[in-house]
Amino acid sequence: MSRAARLGGFIVLTLGILAAGVFIIGSKHYLFSSTYQLRAQFDNVAGLASGADVQVGGVHSGTVLRIELPHVPTDKVTVVMELTDATHEIVKQDSVASIETEGVLGNQYLAVSFGSKGVPEVRDGETIASLPPLEVTDLFKKASTLLDSGKQALANTTEATAHLNSLSAKIDAGTGTVGALVNDRQLYNNLTDSTAGLKATVASAQIGVTSFRENMEAMKHNFLLSGFFKKRGYEDSETLTANAVEALPAEAPAKTFTYAVSQVFAGGDTVKLRNEKVLNEAGQFLVSAPFGMAVIRVSAGMEGDSDKDLVLTQAQAVEIRDSLVKNFGFDDRQLKTMGVGKSASGNDLPGAGQVQILVYPMGTKAAAEKREPTAPDTEALPAQKVPAAGEVKPLQR
Amino acid sequence: MIGATVTESTGITPASAGKPAATASVSPLRPIMIALEWFGNLGSFFWQVVQAGVTPPYEWRELIRQMDEVGARSLSLVVMAGAAIGVVVSLEARYSLAHFGAKSLFPATLVYSVIEIMGPIITGLVVSGRVGAGIGAELASMKVTEQIDAIEVSAVNPYRLLAAPRILACIVMLPLLTLAADASALLTGWATQAMVEPLSFHQFINDGFYGATLNAFLPPTFKTAVYGLIIGLIACFHGMRTHGGAAGVGRAATNSVVLGSLFVILADVVLVKFILAVFP
Repeated sequence: MSRAARLGGFIVLTLGILAAGVFIIGSKHYLFSSTYQLRAQFDNVAGLASGADVQVGGVHSGTVLRIELPHVPTDKVTVVMELTDATHEIVKQDSVASIETEGVLGNQYLAVSFGSKGVPEVRDGETIASLPPLEVTDLFKKASTLLDSGKQALANTTEATAHLNSLSAKIDAGTGTVGALVNDRQLYNNLTDSTAGLKATVASAQIGVTSFRENMEAMKHNFLLSGFFKKRGYEDSETLTANAVEALPAEAPAKTFTYAVSQVFAGGDTVKLRNEKVLNEAGQFLVSAPFGMAVIRVSAGMEGDSDKDLVLTQAQAVEIRDSLVKNFGFDDRQLKTMGVGKSASGNDLPGAGQVQILVYPMGTKAAAEKREPTAPDTEALPAQKVPAAGEVKPLQR
Repeated sequence: MIGATVTESTGITPASAGKPAATASVSPLRPIMIALEWFGNLGSFFWQVVQAGVTPPYEWRELIRQMDEVGARSLSLVVMAGAAIGVVVSLEARYSLAHFGAKSLFPATLVYSVIEIMGPIITGLVVSGRVGAGIGAELASMKVTEQIDAIEVSAVNPYRLLAAPRILACIVMLPLLTLAADASALLTGWATQAMVEPLSFHQFINDGFYGATLNAFLPPTFKTAVYGLIIGLIACFHGMRTHGGAAGVGRAATNSVVLGSLFVILADVVLVKFILAVFP
């Protein structure tokens, strides 16, 4: 290697090191990137020095160029900072500069907040708003105040605890109303006794009610009152609806027996049967042929009070059912009643009531009473019916 | 010791050699006078070199030869010295910082101590040893073999031909050698640290130069030009003014190294203060 080449290599190498050093340091001070200046004014810069970091959103984005003391006592200290052009899009005219500390005792740096959307960008050399720095001495002063109030609160708590202590001591000793309540054994015994007495009273009342019901039952069968109940057709309103159905099944009945009310009953407004033999045909049919369900439907004429007619028709249906069950042997669980009150429709004898005994074939169910006029149910109904039919068919075979 | 070497080396003519020994015990102010004489002679020598150097014709070929001798040929030595210093500072700094729980400051500590103090001073001392001794011995042997007189007789200014290129080469090459020493010290410092615990080179450089300014980098590096001036000037001065055959050559080489190193360190004291004042 010639002398000149060796010297040239040496110079290039060392100047390269120099360039690298200058570039590394220079890039930290934005010597080689375009920058713009901003100013912010503070009453007190709390030790911020020129060359300090400027952070935008916590990212090192510039340096403090210089700090200028005011010329007039009423003026503020001006901090001139240099920011990279990259921050121009986020630092707006409403951005705020504040002096922060790294950690508790670290270096001071200048933090610039993001601006709001829509606010114009800052111009080179513009002054932005500032927040006064939070000084550690101020922090200590505040902490001291806080500690003082904490101390006061603690004293209050101690006092309150003392009061509570005294109160609980008094209760424990049986002093005062609460103390007496807590400590008096006699009071507890009295309460226990009262409860026992109350229990005994309730038991006696129950016995009284049972005897009253028995007395009432006896009265119903007393010759003085039995006429009333017989005429009414029922002793207890619960029996009216014990075997009732709300509506007729959807299927067509296998056999229908139709009578006028006057044919069956002694009068239009009574439940006393005129002649039980009238029902013989129907009773024998029920005995001879197996059936799924039979409904005794009674309707009244258009005369009279609607509510009373409803109860009357219900009672008449029950009376017919009782008669059939008494005189003919068949599965009485399948025999239902239905009093419809006033009904003009399907009445062959206008102005008078009608008795129908509708006998339905095997497999009929009183599903009609649960039917509701909503679309999903009516759609689901045929689907439910198919397996029901499937269940029935093997039984018939 | 210094006084004695100064006494012996200041005599320009052989006739004045016997005189100082006779009067040394007479006056207590004699060492001071000798030191002042030495400074005076050095100053006038420097002035003659400057005068000869700034006026044409310039000795370009000799300058390049000397720059190669001082710079390129010293590179390996300086790099090795820097590498050793990097390892030492790295180990010491790590150990000391761990005591204070400030290991995160390690990169900055290493970078600052190498760039501002260790790099320049180590380069100055190493080059003073190698180049100062070389120049002192070379010029002294030319002096005792009367080659310099021959040059003077042939109407060529020996200051222009011999002293100026050597001193200028020292001034120019010292900062460059310092950069090489800095780079090698930082590399070995980082490598030493990375062997103990993971530290990427990028993070090391980033943390190390955090808050660094060009004022912390360029003045300490270029102050070594002053070291170059001191090393070159003292070596040329002693080489060109020696006398007394082979012993004179040895004395010139020794004085060049000893006084060169001493004045490099003393100059550093002044330069540190000067840099702090001028480049805050």
